[in-house]
Amino acid sequence: MSNAQLEIQLIASIVAIACAIPGTFLVLRKMAMISDAISHSILPGIVIGFFITQDLNSPLLILLAALTGIITVVLVEYIQKTGLVKEDTAIGLVFPTLFSIGVILIAKNANDVHLDVDAVLLGELAFAPFDRMIISGADVGPKSLWIIGSILLITIALLFAFFKELKVSTFDAGLAASLGFSPAVIHYGLMTVSSITTVGAFDAVGAILVVALMIAPPATAYLLTTDLKKMLLYSVCFGVFSAISGYWLAHGLDASISGSITTMLGIIFLLVYLFAPNKGVIAVLYREKQQRTEVLLLTFLLHLKNHTDERERHVNHLNEHINWQKVRSKTVLDLALKNNMIKFNKNIVSLTEKGDAFTSQAIDYIITNEDAQIEDMKDDFFLFRG
Amino acid sequence: MKENKQTVNRTTKVMIDNKNKTTPIAVKVDDLTVAYNYKPVLWDIDLEIPEGVLMAIVGPNGAGKSTLIKSILGILKPIAGSVSIYGKPYDKQRKLVAYVPQKGSVDWDFPTTALDVVMMGTYGNLGWIKRPGQKQKKEALEALEKVGMLPFKNRQISQLSGGQQQRIFLARALVQNASIYFMDEPFQGVDATTEIAIINILKALRKAGKTVIVVHHDLQTVPEYFDWVTFLNVKKIATGPVKDIFNDDYLTKTYGINYKVSIHK
Repeated sequence: MSNAQLEIQLIASIVAIACAIPGTFLVLRKMAMISDAISHSILPGIVIGFFITQDLNSPLLILLAALTGIITVVLVEYIQKTGLVKEDTAIGLVFPTLFSIGVILIAKNANDVHLDVDAVLLGELAFAPFDRMIISGADVGPKSLWIIGSILLITIALLFAFFKELKVSTFDAGLAASLGFSPAVIHYGLMTVSSITTVGAFDAVGAILVVALMIAPPATAYLLTTDLKKMLLYSVCFGVFSAISGYWLAHGLDASISGSITTMLGIIFLLVYLFAPNKGVIAVLYREKQQRTEVLLLTFLLHLKNHTDERERHVNHLNEHINWQKVRSKTVLDLALKNNMIKFNKNIVSLTEKGDAFTSQAIDYIITNEDAQIEDMKDDFFLFRG
Repeated sequence: MKENKQTVNRTTKVMIDNKNKTTPIAVKVDDLTVAYNYKPVLWDIDLEIPEGVLMAIVGPNGAGKSTLIKSILGILKPIAGSVSIYGKPYDKQRKLVAYVPQKGSVDWDFPTTALDVVMMGTYGNLGWIKRPGQKQKKEALEALEKVGMLPFKNRQISQLSGGQQQRIFLARALVQNASIYFMDEPFQGVDATTEIAIINILKALRKAGKTVIVVHHDLQTVPEYFDWVTFLNVKKIATGPVKDIFNDDYLTKTYGINYKVSIHK
């Protein structure tokens, strides 16, 4: 692996981490689309900053661009507050307008090779190692590594300092306000960090990948954990993994690095979406099927408990009495037998002691409206689930 | 709370009842007007809530009950008027006040546990940047115990029933160890068992000398649960002891329809 290759992977990984942190809070605040808006509307800020500084890596340019990001947020909120349009519409109105101003500015004024719309949208990681940071004559690494590295350090410092404030204001803004943690301050703080990260990152990876790195890793992590700290940690891991595997995918396919990283993000999300242990599609379908069978089982047990009459409990007449298809009846009978809840006596089905206890307790819970408790109880009674 | 006692001593006293007993005013609202999009939802409210009452705020939908609480707590900015807690602005008295928002106001799918939500109640005393430690955790566990939710401390909050979620919110307020508790419809969507558990905790708070202010919907239970009531419908209709003012007259004035209640007695 050459030095340049290593540097590209390092930049991509650091960008991924710097994006995953604010991204986690954006996802939890249901503001994913605002990152898309910011990533596009910072373009005029970058262009104007570039005219002033003549340097794409100047801190002033980054601040100017971040300011445009904040203006985007303020404009969206202002339009939304009029009550005339909804938030998503407001976002859709603001960022294309700002973005197109940037496009026109570039077309009219910049013949510079580096500042074209393609570079802005897609970035070019492969060129990142060519732009070196020279301090008193010594080469200390690629410029973009230094920029995004500094941004990451600030982001991490802010995260550690204000984790509690971010958490409480994201979960319950009303409580945060009453406790004296101004939700507006935290909101705009988060927006500022998101904007600065976007500007710092998009030069390396482009506007579209920035959005992908902010949203996809937290969205994936959200499906796997119920703990905010773990969600942050998993987001960072998914981001870094996609960055490195995406790089090698691009290497193998001889394709765009940012495109390949985004593809990896999509693939990982899809896999987790399907196979996540609790919230995944397959787990949900399986659980629904299980619950359906178990509800039928409970219905069947209730029937047995309610009817002492042998005719109602004869195995050959069960179908008629509870109006079920043969297959369904068999599934339920098997499940009840496996769990020792029923017994046969000359083709007459009756509840065992355990079956009776289970049914009585379930009835209690249903009557007192504590249905949720039935799920807990199942762990005690079931040897086999439906 | 030491700080609390001092504040109480300095505040204005007011006479309530006819027993010549003086009780400090816990919450005082003066000429409060709040508007959404230039439409007033609260109009020139004057309100004095004496210390140690368990008070219901009742009124029809859209009467501004939640708005009143939120304005007292500084969550909403009024267009006119002022609020004081024991004689001082809310900003200076945050630590004396705990707030239980409506259960529906938060996203219960948020990745966090019951214990963690209760810990949030301790953040106010910690202030910015400082992190909760063992002491805060211990307090949170005690609060969970009080509402009977200790066995569920590590549950993800989306896996709690509506009643359990409400108890978690209550525990979060208890952990603040405040003097005044504001609750926005704590009985909404909870089962009978939880309702009784909650009202018992509120009554215990009052017994301990705390002031409890509850936005309440169920008129039937007002005389049984509360000793003080405020009728609100954009304007304040009346406020006072339940036994004196909870009658058909004020109910009719508040709800606009002819109220024939045989509720009390």
